[in-house]
Amino acid sequence: MIQNLIDGVLTGSYISLGAIGLTLVMHILRFANFSHAELLSLGAYVALVCDALVAALVPVFAVKLAPLSLTWALVLAILMSMVITGLSALLIDRLVFKRVREKGLELSMIFASFGMALIIRNVIGLFFGLSPQLYSRDIAFAMVLSRDPLLLVKPDQIFVLVAALLLMLMLHLLLSRTTFGYSLRAVAENPSLAQVNGVNLHRTIMAVWLIGGALAAVAGVFYGLSHQLIPVMGRDLLLPIFAATIVGGIGSVYGAVLGGFIVGIAGNMALVVLPSGYTPSVPFLLIIVVLMIRPHGLFGEARA
Amino acid sequence: MIGVMSYLVFFATTASILAIAVLGLNLQWGNTGLFNGGVVAFFGAGAYGTLILGGTSQEGHLGGFGVIYPLALLGGMAAAGLMAWIVGLLTLRLRHDYLAIATFGVAVAFENLMRNAEWLAGGAKGVRGFERPLRAALGDGFLYNILFFLVVLAILIATYLFLERLVASPFGRLLRAIREDEEAAQSLGKSPAKVRLTAFVTGSVILGLAGGLYGTFYAFVSPQDVLPTLTFQIWAMLIVGGAGNNRGAIFGAFLIWGAWTASGWALSRFAPIEAQLYTGSVQFVLIGSVIVGMLMWRPEGLLPERLVVSQRGSTPSNKQGE
Amino acid sequence: MSITKYLWVAIGLAVSATALPGTAEAQDCTTKIGAVLPTSVDWGRPIAETAQFAVDQVNAAGGAAGCQIEMVLRDTQVDPKVGVDAAKALVDLEGVKLLLGAVSSGVSMPILTSVTVPGDVVQMSCCSSSTAFTKLSEDGKTNGLWFRTFATTGVQSAVAAKVAADKGYKTVAVMYKNDDWGQDMARLIAADFAAVGVEVTASVAVNDGQPSYRAEVTEALASQPESLYLALYPAEGTAAVREWISLGGTQNMILANSLKSDEFRDNVGLQYLGATLGTDTASPRSESADAFRAAYVERFESEPNGPGLANSYDATMIALLAMEAAGKDASGSDIAAAIAKVTDPNGTPVSADTAGFSAAKDVLSGGGTVMYQGGTGNVRFDKNGDVSAPAVVWAFSEGGIEEVEYMSLNDVDAFITSLK
Repeated sequence: MIQNLIDGVLTGSYISLGAIGLTLVMHILRFANFSHAELLSLGAYVALVCDALVAALVPVFAVKLAPLSLTWALVLAILMSMVITGLSALLIDRLVFKRVREKGLELSMIFASFGMALIIRNVIGLFFGLSPQLYSRDIAFAMVLSRDPLLLVKPDQIFVLVAALLLMLMLHLLLSRTTFGYSLRAVAENPSLAQVNGVNLHRTIMAVWLIGGALAAVAGVFYGLSHQLIPVMGRDLLLPIFAATIVGGIGSVYGAVLGGFIVGIAGNMALVVLPSGYTPSVPFLLIIVVLMIRPHGLFGEARA
Repeated sequence: MIGVMSYLVFFATTASILAIAVLGLNLQWGNTGLFNGGVVAFFGAGAYGTLILGGTSQEGHLGGFGVIYPLALLGGMAAAGLMAWIVGLLTLRLRHDYLAIATFGVAVAFENLMRNAEWLAGGAKGVRGFERPLRAALGDGFLYNILFFLVVLAILIATYLFLERLVASPFGRLLRAIREDEEAAQSLGKSPAKVRLTAFVTGSVILGLAGGLYGTFYAFVSPQDVLPTLTFQIWAMLIVGGAGNNRGAIFGAFLIWGAWTASGWALSRFAPIEAQLYTGSVQFVLIGSVIVGMLMWRPEGLLPERLVVSQRGSTPSNKQGE
Repeated sequence: MSITKYLWVAIGLAVSATALPGTAEAQDCTTKIGAVLPTSVDWGRPIAETAQFAVDQVNAAGGAAGCQIEMVLRDTQVDPKVGVDAAKALVDLEGVKLLLGAVSSGVSMPILTSVTVPGDVVQMSCCSSSTAFTKLSEDGKTNGLWFRTFATTGVQSAVAAKVAADKGYKTVAVMYKNDDWGQDMARLIAADFAAVGVEVTASVAVNDGQPSYRAEVTEALASQPESLYLALYPAEGTAAVREWISLGGTQNMILANSLKSDEFRDNVGLQYLGATLGTDTASPRSESADAFRAAYVERFESEPNGPGLANSYDATMIALLAMEAAGKDASGSDIAAAIAKVTDPNGTPVSADTAGFSAAKDVLSGGGTVMYQGGTGNVRFDKNGDVSAPAVVWAFSEGGIEEVEYMSLNDVDAFITSLK
């Protein structure tokens, strides 16, 4: 029971990171981006390549930072992947979403993102093969927190949780203490009014893609570190991330964080009450319950 | 040549069944603006309902009612309608993105239930033991396929005519009014909630009809038939064909299903042998590119909705459009 | 109106496309066979590669029934609609009399009921395991056209129970893939474990495509079993077992043959698999039985270890042997009838490679029958198209996978009877 709760918090950390990017995009650009989760797999695979590159160029970095299964090479790879994935998100917007957006039909963006998701997922599959891959084949053993009841936590997961919380804190500061944060909120509230007041709409949108892509890359690597890399990981993560975004309320960064943890915990606690075959339904039952009580999510606001 | 004919009939049957489903979705999205992300749940309810009602007795799960076929099909439609009514009551007050995800969740839960509840519908093994109507008399060769196709085609035409009438009726105008400006409609004394629910249930019954025919065609249904891919396919058909236009919906169904199958066929035929094993992934990349390209080139669909502002028959251009 | 314009374009495309075949091949004779396999899925692609490998070997032996064989491969995308349409196109447009596939029972079944049975085409699946096929055949609805080289799950589960009993395990947790195969396995294994007195502490369904299997593993772990039985595929199997071991779960594991994969061994790590035993159907004890393995290693530079690889190879080989036996321009029913001639227990044994196929050709042309000794054993089909085979218990080792114990068909049958 308590073990499930702890597991849920740990799972929630990467779901939250993914949901933050999605909620920003959904809020500023006003569309449900089905290709967002593919940025997670893109980021994870880019890091896999960078990791191998760095480790080959500077072998010293390939040593593990015990007790983590993380290496310095992977840390550098994460940073590189953040940049590359952020730029990729920007590029995809430039090539596809921007053009579709300018045509201006409500559902076009959603379907364009669905099409992009298919493209990204299968291109990754063509490049890397369809089998699972790992950053490190060694198994990092869990630490025993308590014997009765038995509580186990893996050092990697603690690292993931701490790093995710730090990133969220940085994002919080960025949004609440900087001019950029204000302009972001202004655009979200009312794009034309914000423009009249001198906010560069174009640049704000670029920033949203960069931040969203970078956070997605981290989330993807953290997922890969905790589990494994597989080309369909984006598809598998899409639903929990969407659930987190919706439960938290579209547009609310704090909502996305909370939503991520709620979805993670619910997924892990579900087995306490439901037979294991039913786990995939849990995030949705949760969404429906939350939306029944709060039609715009926990932190979301009604808007036209 | 017989082979080509036989295949085309088979293809057209599947495409027509999908076209019926696209028409159902068009009533919900195209005419009423309801973003149903769980198309496959209602489609599946129709398929499962029809096969369970009309099938022979199976050990281990519900079934064996042996209801005569037309009633079984109606039962399947009713199952879809009932589910839509419950889902609609719970979720229809949500707007776009939220509604889409909530209904998507319903579809995932539906698949999950079918996969796990063996006592209900056989679990992952699916429902079999359904005898296609009149198969004993007609055999199951080419003749049967032609007749089955004609029946499906007739149902497709009937559905089309029904929806055209409905859309042209005062109720149809009300649907569009609510889609465009709910508050204005409300201020005229209409009840948007009730109207939306009616449209949602009607559209879902049509989806259930398509599902029932689908199950009949294969004489089998399993959880693999109700995965989210189908929702995506049906939506893609509507978007490419033209939301709000029933002819666009039918056209989109044939076009997308044609492209979907033709791309697989073309890849298996023309791709070099070494590349054959990668054609699956390549095909998905192509499908994605077609959709993205379409939305960049012609987002309103190939046959866009024709908005009628004035009274019917008042302008000559309108008549011409018919 | 524009709709008619589009329609004409579509019809024009369809006609020009169908006019293409027939123009190219005039000189050499080529017989087409169809394959509908999920090539866009991780475990599906190797299955298709293995089928193509078998076709290449047959072609090296001069082809079957006097012609070179061309395998036209279509992806099912694990979508029944797509698979059925692909099968129908292969049968109607390419004129195949023999169809390999599909993998998932949910795709194979509608193909069988709506394409191959009405079209009198032999359907040979490597891997569809659902018991529904046996029932369909018993109802007389397959016209004898359905075959599968996937040994019925009963053998595997019985042997796994024997392993647990021999090892002296008192308790076991079961994790199974939540599809038709996994659900069957879970049901059978529960009964078999009970029959040998091993208590099942938890039976956990593992769904496809879940981002994390932590909760499932925690559930199994909480029941504190002495051993773990796994009926999973490598992708989710690797994830679940890594999680299991890192949380300190027992390394006394028993695996279904779906996890007999180098990828699984490498990704989990041999050091944790020392106490792990697997079950599988087996080749008979004869020299020729290694032929498949040896040729496979030469071609792919790895052992044929993965779900359905040996089954896929055997399905292709047996189907082509039957085609050879049935002769030129045979109908689907003819080929189906000829399968008994190439899996005859009293026939001349032939090995699973190019040489074996050549040898079989000589025997068959002389009016004899052959016993195909394939990658999964002395394959023999019963009247429902199901196969039974000897069994083997295996373990992971440095070099790959090695055999621990061999059970002949009689041993297996005797043990299964003792469980009842």
